[in-house]
Amino acid sequence: MKGYDLITPEGTRDLLFDECVARKREEDRLRYLFIMNGYSEVITPALEFYDVFNMKARSFRQESMYKLVDGKGRLMVMRPDSTMPIARIVATRLKDRNKPLKLFYSQNIYRCNPKLSGRDDEILQTGIEIIGGDEKRADLEALSLAAKVLCECGSTDTRLEIGDNTFYKYLLYALSLQDDEETVRAFIESKNTPELKNWIAEKTEKITDGNKRKYAELLLTLPKLFGGEEVFDTAEKLFSNTELADRLTELKETYNALCRLYDKNSITVDLGLVNKAEYYTGIIFRGYIEEYGQAVISGGRYDTLIGSFGAADTGAIGFAANVNAIAAATLQRANEPLSKSADVLVFAKDGYLTEGIRHCDNMTETGVIAEFCTCSDVESAIAYAKENGIQKLIVIDENTQTIEL
Amino acid sequence: MNSNKTIRIALTKGRLEKDTVNLFDKIGYDVSQLRDKGRKLILEIPGADIEVVLAKAADVITYVEHGVCDMGVVGKDTIDEYGGKFFEVCDLGFGRCRFALAVKAGTDFYEGYGVKTIATKYPNVTRRFFEAKGMDVDIVKIEGSVELAPLLSLSDGIVDIVETGTTLKENGLAVYEDVSPISARVIVNPVSMKLKKNDIETLLQKMESNL
Repeated sequence: MKGYDLITPEGTRDLLFDECVARKREEDRLRYLFIMNGYSEVITPALEFYDVFNMKARSFRQESMYKLVDGKGRLMVMRPDSTMPIARIVATRLKDRNKPLKLFYSQNIYRCNPKLSGRDDEILQTGIEIIGGDEKRADLEALSLAAKVLCECGSTDTRLEIGDNTFYKYLLYALSLQDDEETVRAFIESKNTPELKNWIAEKTEKITDGNKRKYAELLLTLPKLFGGEEVFDTAEKLFSNTELADRLTELKETYNALCRLYDKNSITVDLGLVNKAEYYTGIIFRGYIEEYGQAVISGGRYDTLIGSFGAADTGAIGFAANVNAIAAATLQRANEPLSKSADVLVFAKDGYLTEGIRHCDNMTETGVIAEFCTCSDVESAIAYAKENGIQKLIVIDENTQTIEL
Repeated sequence: MNSNKTIRIALTKGRLEKDTVNLFDKIGYDVSQLRDKGRKLILEIPGADIEVVLAKAADVITYVEHGVCDMGVVGKDTIDEYGGKFFEVCDLGFGRCRFALAVKAGTDFYEGYGVKTIATKYPNVTRRFFEAKGMDVDIVKIEGSVELAPLLSLSDGIVDIVETGTTLKENGLAVYEDVSPISARVIVNPVSMKLKKNDIETLLQKMESNL
């Protein structure tokens, strides 16, 4: 029978040389950024029990997770996300720790994407979670770090986009449409105004209450409320005299603060951001770079998740950056090789092997990349050096000889 | 994604392509290249910073999802069947038809307790339709003329695109129930929508006002 011993599963790949350097470099850069901002790293297992991800408020479809069975027949998954395992830790081992807690992680997540779609099933996500603390400050801190991540990407065109699903949830509740939440959410998320309009018209035709009619109109405008500062001007008019006006003012304050800190053109707002609505409970944000067709940063506030693991409700906010995508963009932009060959190749003739190793050690201590040559003779050492772009060969015998190539 | 400043739009080859080119003509774009395209798959609209890509329906979604095309024109049938993460911003109104459940004329589809078999080119649309009814059906995927399946007694009915119903009639089948309406839609990559907002919104407005 023909086996699968020569290929990797779909959606996964081997990373060689430059690809690997780019991935590690971007990861290191983000880890350093988070460390320098006072975050502590956590690592969670790649294998978790299915139950961690399987609750309504945790919104992972079972077909999107890789599943295994443990020795006792219990269902396990390859973690599809890092936030839920961290919420589990916070609700258990860290439940008595004083808040706020600032955590970060850098680990692979696994998603079972539709086959042949060209998407990664294994994605390196590096991200942060701020558990507890003052909401306004935590929101600004998380958003500000996300903006820094985008700056670090090295892309010439980036956007950090903020939204807030309070608006959507409030309107849905006010119109008593909670039962149809998934339908409405799908329309708003895909900015499908034509169908949303028909649907709302049908659902609300019997409503005569003036306030409710207004809410229906507001719901219909949500998908269109995206862009720069002008969105707030429009939204302020629309939401004046509603209970949403205060929330809008708060969001605007956050937006303005970000505009003062970062390039104003790279900060936008979208009040129609409603992804994972049952999980996020307030501000939601996304980061985009021009080289990649999907968001490279995704995050938001999730105030009920930790409570759903049985601990006291604790407000939290976090985001994850898709390092696969960021590294691929770096590689695409790079016009010279990222991986570095050795500065010198050290070939030790028979009888001088220990001297050879010692010579390498001495050089590496001074910061020179010195490679001990494992070829059997000087000719093949020269050929090896040329093939690998090494410009200097040192031959060790009774007198050390340097050959520039 | 398509990171140059030109807007790249993928059109579904065939009738939707023709209708969209007519729409572009009405807007006032120079569509000479699009009309006289030969075998080329990437075409330009001179003077408008728009690049047109011709693709099969499902591929339009793939290109837009990955962001290598900023926008696409594709039928609601394809969107319903394949899904995906993109914005569906405009109903162009043309390419209008519907998904329908059809059976041999004169038969009662819901009669009896047996599990029904449905032949279709659209297994996902079919599954969702019957799932919403709480009905368990066997779905058989057929690549060519689906009408054959009930005639050869492979299935109890079909779920397919129906325009005029002539093919059904000529083969002794009849629409039993409508599933959902279909028309051409404009889809947009979410990142393109944010990074090229003005250009895309301008084009969308032009398209909508010339429908």
